[in-house]
Amino acid sequence: MNKDKIIRKDIRNDFPILSKKILKTKDLVYFDTAASAQKPQVVIDELNQFYKSHYSNVSRGVHTLSVESTLRYEDARKKVQSFINAKSENEIIFTKSATESINLVAQTFYDKYMSTGDEIILSLMEHHSNLIPWYFLRDKYGVVIKFANITESGEIDVNHFESLITPKTKIAALTHLSNVYGSKIDEKVSSICKRNNVAILLDGCQSAAHLKIDVQKLECDFFVFSGHKTYGPSGIGVLYGKENLLNEMPPYQGGGGMIGEVTTDKVSYAELPAKYEAGTPPIAEAHGLGIAIDYMNNIGIENIFNHEEELTKYAYEKISELDFVKIYGDANNRNSIISFNIENIHSHEVSSFLDVEGIAVRAGHHCCQPLMKHLGVNSTSRLSFGVYNTIEEVDIFINALIKCKEFFIK
Amino acid sequence: MNELLKELYQEIILDHGNEPRNFGVCETHNKSAHGHNPLCGDKVSLTLFVDDDDIIKDIKFSGEGCAISVASASLMTEKLKGKKLSYAENMFKDFTDLVKGSEDSLSTIDEDDSLYALKGVKDFPMRVKCATLAWHTFKNALKE
Repeated sequence: MNKDKIIRKDIRNDFPILSKKILKTKDLVYFDTAASAQKPQVVIDELNQFYKSHYSNVSRGVHTLSVESTLRYEDARKKVQSFINAKSENEIIFTKSATESINLVAQTFYDKYMSTGDEIILSLMEHHSNLIPWYFLRDKYGVVIKFANITESGEIDVNHFESLITPKTKIAALTHLSNVYGSKIDEKVSSICKRNNVAILLDGCQSAAHLKIDVQKLECDFFVFSGHKTYGPSGIGVLYGKENLLNEMPPYQGGGGMIGEVTTDKVSYAELPAKYEAGTPPIAEAHGLGIAIDYMNNIGIENIFNHEEELTKYAYEKISELDFVKIYGDANNRNSIISFNIENIHSHEVSSFLDVEGIAVRAGHHCCQPLMKHLGVNSTSRLSFGVYNTIEEVDIFINALIKCKEFFIK
Repeated sequence: MNELLKELYQEIILDHGNEPRNFGVCETHNKSAHGHNPLCGDKVSLTLFVDDDDIIKDIKFSGEGCAISVASASLMTEKLKGKKLSYAENMFKDFTDLVKGSEDSLSTIDEDDSLYALKGVKDFPMRVKCATLAWHTFKNALKE
């Protein structure tokens, strides 16, 4: 193996929480990065330092602290721009979460480009955050939502997707990397959308910390992700939108910072990106996200990908050897996420059992109830990897799964 | 094996989880409710027949969920059958106290009670909702 492809051994020391003992005795095995990633010391320290030495409101004053805060806030925007290879920093909007980013697009895209009877395409494996904002449009304005099928392997059925498109289809909103299957979207979907003049939003919550993101290559019109899943703070989300669309769409919320001029009878709006950032934004959180991006860049996102791919393949192989475990989806095109069930044991039991062994996995419907219904299950367990996980941890997990089965099925 | 897990998954819990009692729908019922834990997807449907003297003559549940929620529903139906509503409401309060770790002022549940087997839930705060789902559904059924 190429030496510079190996994640350095002491990487775990960057994450203070990993030395925590669960129930005072067990080493923490954190396999829930898909829910939220742990934070490296440098992000924790920089947040602290920001509040201690530089904090004030942004873009509002001329005093020293306002300048220092604003510089850091706008610097974070440049980091995000280069992280996802957007053409312009005007295309990067800071929100409070990826969820807010999707709500913003749903509302303002409808206002500009859609009317009653127009159609939206989603898939059966979307997270609730990429379903409900569109359901709102259906309930309020009578738009039509169509669902693309999912194949056995856990990917969007591209042919079915294409067959759903009509002249009334205005936008498709799809997960870039499934939070249940770990499968990556077939990039043909973007070109199909482009060919049919359908806008596409990619939900990058599960991909941004694991894959190299290039929004221009992806040919997407909108891309969203959250800070907390990319080793940054919670309370910060990103919306990427093509500049011409963001210029044409109306503002989302009204408030300070998003205005040009206000009189008693009218208002003009600020230029991008301020137009979509009403109110005091998540300032320190944006700075923290910028630091987290630096952190990932220092390791190299390709190295992170390769490391996690190795873990995912190894875990998939090992779990496949256990005849009492069912894995959802297959190994191809999968990154960092594996959902599974132990036969006849509810995921809650599995998760509580593993917790006592020090292992954190997610149990439940993963905010994907339509997908759970499609799979014919009530819930699944899910392990998901971050840069700090190791092969040894997978072995600990496998042994614990065997013990778990023995505990519940005598 | 870890003591907390042994405490949580006592024999009686696994037994009721695997083979729930009073599973189904009461042939005649005058009260019912559906319960749902939106965080995890567990579901329970409850039907009861309460007579003119406020006695629970019949009670059954159906649904799907983890061992803790199914066992809790099963044990609940066993306990509530034949009880007066006012007493059952006191049991509701005692049970929710018990699984949250406060057992000082229980009036209807004692240590020999089968419901006491769910006391181990107190060490797994995220599972309290699993244990109380059926009881909250019962409470909602009475509001009808």
